[in-house]
Amino acid sequence: MNPSIPPSTAEYGGDEVSAIVLDPGFSTTRAGFAGEDAPKSLVPTYYGKYSYEGQEKLIFGDDVFVTPRPGLSIHNPIGRDGIVEDWDMAEKVWEYSFASRLTGAKPGNPLHNGLNDVSNGELPTEMEVEETEKPLADSPLLMSECGWNPTKAREKTIEIAMESWGTPAFYLARNGVLSAFASGKASALVVDIGASNISVTPVHDGMILKRGVQHSPLGGDYISSQIRALFKNNSPQPITITPHYLISSKTGVEAGQPAQAKYKTFPPEKAPDASYRTLLEERTISEFKESVVQVWPGPTKLAAVGPGGVPNEEMAKTTPARPFEFPDGYNQLFGVDRYRVVESLFDAKAAIADPESPFPAPTQAQTVTELIKSALNGVDVDIRPHLLANVVVTGASSLLYGFTDRLNQELMQTFPGPRVRISAPGNTSERKFGSWVGGSILASLGTFHQMWISKKEFDEHGPNIVEKRCK
Amino acid sequence: MAAADVRDMLDLPAEGQQQPRPHKKQKVVEKRPEGITRELYALLGERAPPIAINENRYKGRPKWMSKLRVRPWRMAPFTNGARSDELVLRHWQRQQEPTNAPALEGPEAEKPEEKKQPEEGEGVPKPPEQEYPFVKYNVKARVPKRYSDDEYNRHLKNDDWSRQETDYLMDLAEEYDLRWVVIADRYDFQPQPIDAEANSNALVPAKRYRTMEQMKARYYYIAATMLAFEHPPSEMSETEFELHEKMLKFDPDRERVRKELAALQFNRTADEVREEGILLEELKRITAKEQNFIAERRELYSRLEVPISVGNTAMYQSSQGLSQLLSTLLQADKSKKRRSILGPEGAAAPSPAGQTPTTSGPASARDSRAETPGQAPAPATKKAAAAAAAAAAANKEPQQQPLKTLTPAEEARYGVQHHERLTPSVQFRSDRPQKLTHAKSNVQSQKLAAALAELEVPPRLVMPTERLCKEFEKLIVSVNALLDARKMGEKVESEIRVLEAAREERERKEQEAKEKENPQVKTESDHNDSSLASAAPAGSTDGANDGKDPAVPAPSVEGPEAGAGAGDGTAGDASHKRSASVLSNGSDKSAKRQKK
Repeated sequence: MNPSIPPSTAEYGGDEVSAIVLDPGFSTTRAGFAGEDAPKSLVPTYYGKYSYEGQEKLIFGDDVFVTPRPGLSIHNPIGRDGIVEDWDMAEKVWEYSFASRLTGAKPGNPLHNGLNDVSNGELPTEMEVEETEKPLADSPLLMSECGWNPTKAREKTIEIAMESWGTPAFYLARNGVLSAFASGKASALVVDIGASNISVTPVHDGMILKRGVQHSPLGGDYISSQIRALFKNNSPQPITITPHYLISSKTGVEAGQPAQAKYKTFPPEKAPDASYRTLLEERTISEFKESVVQVWPGPTKLAAVGPGGVPNEEMAKTTPARPFEFPDGYNQLFGVDRYRVVESLFDAKAAIADPESPFPAPTQAQTVTELIKSALNGVDVDIRPHLLANVVVTGASSLLYGFTDRLNQELMQTFPGPRVRISAPGNTSERKFGSWVGGSILASLGTFHQMWISKKEFDEHGPNIVEKRCK
Repeated sequence: MAAADVRDMLDLPAEGQQQPRPHKKQKVVEKRPEGITRELYALLGERAPPIAINENRYKGRPKWMSKLRVRPWRMAPFTNGARSDELVLRHWQRQQEPTNAPALEGPEAEKPEEKKQPEEGEGVPKPPEQEYPFVKYNVKARVPKRYSDDEYNRHLKNDDWSRQETDYLMDLAEEYDLRWVVIADRYDFQPQPIDAEANSNALVPAKRYRTMEQMKARYYYIAATMLAFEHPPSEMSETEFELHEKMLKFDPDRERVRKELAALQFNRTADEVREEGILLEELKRITAKEQNFIAERRELYSRLEVPISVGNTAMYQSSQGLSQLLSTLLQADKSKKRRSILGPEGAAAPSPAGQTPTTSGPASARDSRAETPGQAPAPATKKAAAAAAAAAAANKEPQQQPLKTLTPAEEARYGVQHHERLTPSVQFRSDRPQKLTHAKSNVQSQKLAAALAELEVPPRLVMPTERLCKEFEKLIVSVNALLDARKMGEKVESEIRVLEAAREERERKEQEAKEKENPQVKTESDHNDSSLASAAPAGSTDGANDGKDPAVPAPSVEGPEAGAGAGDGTAGDASHKRSASVLSNGSDKSAKRQKK
């Protein structure tokens, strides 16, 4: 059997074992069945916490956005660097992501569903044991992790999966590898523009090259902070974002005129926490990112002089501005500013200064181009040209208008010799869920089933097996 | 998939078998539009009325499929032979019927079933011998046999590599299937015992960084040595020996230098890349130029060797011949793949020499000389060959010509003909004379046709034999000449008339001037008569005077001068035509007419 000869078409490579693929991210957590083309369950990783009648209550999923409950505060179990900080809550959020939509409520034990009630309520004791059924008892679980996940976090993950969820088989894959698989490549340079991080992962033959993995915090949230800074420095008057829940009614106003809206007010004891407002403001900002923000297409930086001898800023001013209306009715045209907010992904000096931002001013080494450069320097010189010819762009923030074009220009300038080819799926869901789709492919392959870590192996070797098996 | 199928698959009892039935009935009805009887619909045939009957409804399965039995699938547990533990996973699998009853299944359905059976068929409730089909892809790279302590100590010791590190390297190589990129990436050897020693020395050694070349060198050395243990080099098979040689010859320094160069190449600046591009372009240009030069020189040599051919250029006199020449030259150029340079034939074409077929002495001598193998290595063109053959036939030089030559009498007998050139396409012999009857102007061709009609020669030859065609050509040529002559004659005559009229007028005026002095009526009428006779030579009697001299004056004509002038043109023309035909009658073509 020669492994280099692909199997004939009659030999279909898939073999679905109804595995669940869980792709936890900083902003959203994706879960679904392997073999499908998009995750069935997409929930925010943010969760809400409030106290009701002295009891602490938690809200998961899209429900966190809905009701401004008194004292509702929003948290995220994952740290800014993509590593889980609050394991208990991470477990709950992840469990919610698959239990709410995928595994769901099982048909109850016929003894307890009320139909077979015995009058005295005396139950056989052996049934009590079965009652504590694990949520993943009959589905293998494939989880993804970032390339710089420390060993401790990996061991903790497998412990949760095996012990709390009771999965029969488990595997932990790097999301860079999975994104490469989603593009049909075993070797690629994966550029993942996420919410909290941008990362560059060299993948060779389905394995990451650890010395090449690079990441920096200039992700979607950083762009949001830049947009906030832009609003703060807005020229006629600073723009404040008022989320929808604070507005009871609004009337349309001319562009640039102050908003005319009736606001809702909450008494201090009923008001939600400030983090709730931030979360909802973030939704408006992502709308702004989707409809207004644009990446300067290059080939030179926005601050530089273009090929025609005209400064790029002037060129950008000639392009038609884009309007945006805020929830309170205030609207304005955004001209060259819509290029400025993302320019610092490529040119650190172009960042809009904002002393109140949680993000420190970026350094040049944190920009996408520099990350790619240092990632390539970390791998063997023989595979560098191959990696450059297989750059995979993924992550929802890479959907910024014109991002891949600019990245292509930057890479062509940085590496004029080798051929640069970027593969970025045009389909939005494939770009957003790149690593999940790769996991879905991987977990439904017949050849993959020998790689699962089974419960038996976990019991034998302990959690450290994840280091040996998930290389 | 209908509910019945689901029931079938899950082995549930069929309760409402009627459900698919009405569905089928509807299907039959909907094939033709309502309100049209089947007979009428059949009569419509292929040209159905342009009514789009398009219903948006679920198509369902084809009818023949609903007759098949649905094959049941079930969730089956399986184990993977590539795993050491007995992990049981579950997947959907087609269940094989315990009693194989293919009677119900159509031939289409049976085929895939048979095909899949050998590779997949583990449907029978868990046959233990059935292997998981993907196990065969579980392959590992071939790594050398691990050395024993004794072997290591005797042959593999190295100052640079400790035993532990060597073990670590071999483990990694096995674990990552010799993917050196990954091995070098993950290589992280921490020598514990040595650390302690180093601490005692109070001199912490910098952490060793191994390059891929060092690892490869070590690994290849060990692998080659182990291979040699297994089979001494004298007993190795060819591939093994090659592998052994290759591994022994691995040179880490050279590899390192190569990688440095590769890195340099990778990190070129844009200017360097541009410069390289320019240099490559330059190189390409130089080589292309050299190629061109060589080709041109070869061309020059070949031209020097080509014999000068003096052939018939008559064929190039017409525009058709010239265009044909051009096309043949282009053809030749294309096959030579170079710029258009006029060939030897082209050079000969403009020369006015040799209008007649080459029967003259020197030309034929030269041609025949060219034909000799020693002097003419260049391939002779068709035309040259034909000309040479003709010349040889005329010269009768059998010692030089291997071909048997024919006398003109023999040629005539056998019907052998020599053509100046043959046009590439098929054509009729009768076309050529036919073409000649069409002159450039319509009037001219009409005149030609009229002349032919008068001679009772049909415009299209009935039996266009070679000789007849030639004769016909001659006829046409002389008719043309005659027509030209008549035209000239007419012109001269009309000039004469005009001059005479002018003279008459002058004389009349003089006369009038005289008469004013002494009026005499008699002389005036005399003058008038004579002038009219000369101006209008043929009057109303033109139909009868065939063969008579048209210049005979008609004294009976009386009328105003203007009317006579107008009639003069047409009448004169007709009479001239007749005279021309009469002339041609008298010419040598009368013989032809008799032949007809």
